[in-house]
Amino acid sequence: MHEHVYDVFARKSRGDPLAHIGYVDALDDETARVYAWKTYDEEHWFEMCVVRRSAIIPVNREDGPFAGGGSEKP
Amino acid sequence: MTHFTDEELKAKVRDGYIVESVEEMTEGYRKALVVQLTVQGDTELMSAPAYWMAARHAPSTNTQVSAHAIIQDELAHANIAYRLLEDLGESKEHLVYGREPAEFKHPYGFDQPLENWAELVVANGFFDRAGITLLSDVFKHTSYGPLKRALVKVDMEETFHLRHGEVWMKRLAKAGGEARELLQRAVDWMFPMTVEWFGLPDSMKRHSGQLDYRLKGLTNDQLRQVWMSSTVPLCEELGLDAPAHRDEEKGEYVLDFPFPCRYDDAAKRWLFDEGEISWDEVFARWKARGPMNETYVESVQRSRGVVARWLHGGAAA
Repeated sequence: MHEHVYDVFARKSRGDPLAHIGYVDALDDETARVYAWKTYDEEHWFEMCVVRRSAIIPVNREDGPFAGGGSEKP
Repeated sequence: MTHFTDEELKAKVRDGYIVESVEEMTEGYRKALVVQLTVQGDTELMSAPAYWMAARHAPSTNTQVSAHAIIQDELAHANIAYRLLEDLGESKEHLVYGREPAEFKHPYGFDQPLENWAELVVANGFFDRAGITLLSDVFKHTSYGPLKRALVKVDMEETFHLRHGEVWMKRLAKAGGEARELLQRAVDWMFPMTVEWFGLPDSMKRHSGQLDYRLKGLTNDQLRQVWMSSTVPLCEELGLDAPAHRDEEKGEYVLDFPFPCRYDDAAKRWLFDEGEISWDEVFARWKARGPMNETYVESVQRSRGVVARWLHGGAAA
């Protein structure tokens, strides 16, 4: 079962910055939404979103933790 | 590309440098981090079936909910550790589904059956407290940025598990009678087991890469003291016998039993009478794993291949 890496971003309250809070492995976007919501349930988030890691485009460095799509095999 | 030599990296992390990606690591650093995260992930993962089988003993729907909420947290924590391992080039698929039961690296405590509600809540009170002790030290001191950020959630939730354990230990102690007897019985085998969990004493500890790379901050003995400094007073407050006391002169907690010592896993009893044994004997017992090891691992792995076949029409992924 090939899963993709999704990074999870959230903010607690209005006015808070959107922060990276974790990641899930999921088969597709829909399961990623469910896994993220069920996994990162430690707060009542005002907003949460997921981004497929391979969709992240590094700007200033190629060796950051989000560069290269994690362990995504293209 | 490695930017630093091992000595340079050790000096940098001592000065507070935070490592953010695998490219910055030396092989020594990466290996030490892989070992640490594997133990962390395996511990969280194997706590889940142990707690899940014990949750059958929950006395009400509310306690069923809280017991299962804890299991859900543990699985999420395991997933976080394995996800971090993937970023280091390890395979989560292999780690979770490809290993034999005896290859998992969790502590011996999670190879034991939890057979009643008292044992489950003492596991929350003792084992989860050991988890917090270890992980909050990692959170405070780790030089690996992605792990530090991931542990915010983990620490928050482990604190809830501990509170669940403490609240229920108090309730059972207060009830007296059979509840209190079962509670004491659980303390009797789980207290020494958690003390042992922290590993070799510092006087025998071989060189620790985890300290040199700032993957943790405290030594095994220091962590054992932190754990006892909250566990012993809790037991005293509840009128439970715990085999350790505070030595005012030394300013630390000392054990009232030969350490390490033999354990009879069928009787769930420590053989204090047989005296102190060697750590080699302890390592042999850990390596052979405990009575529930195969059952717990099988319960985690059992359906993987089946569902993969459904999804891929016979080609198991």
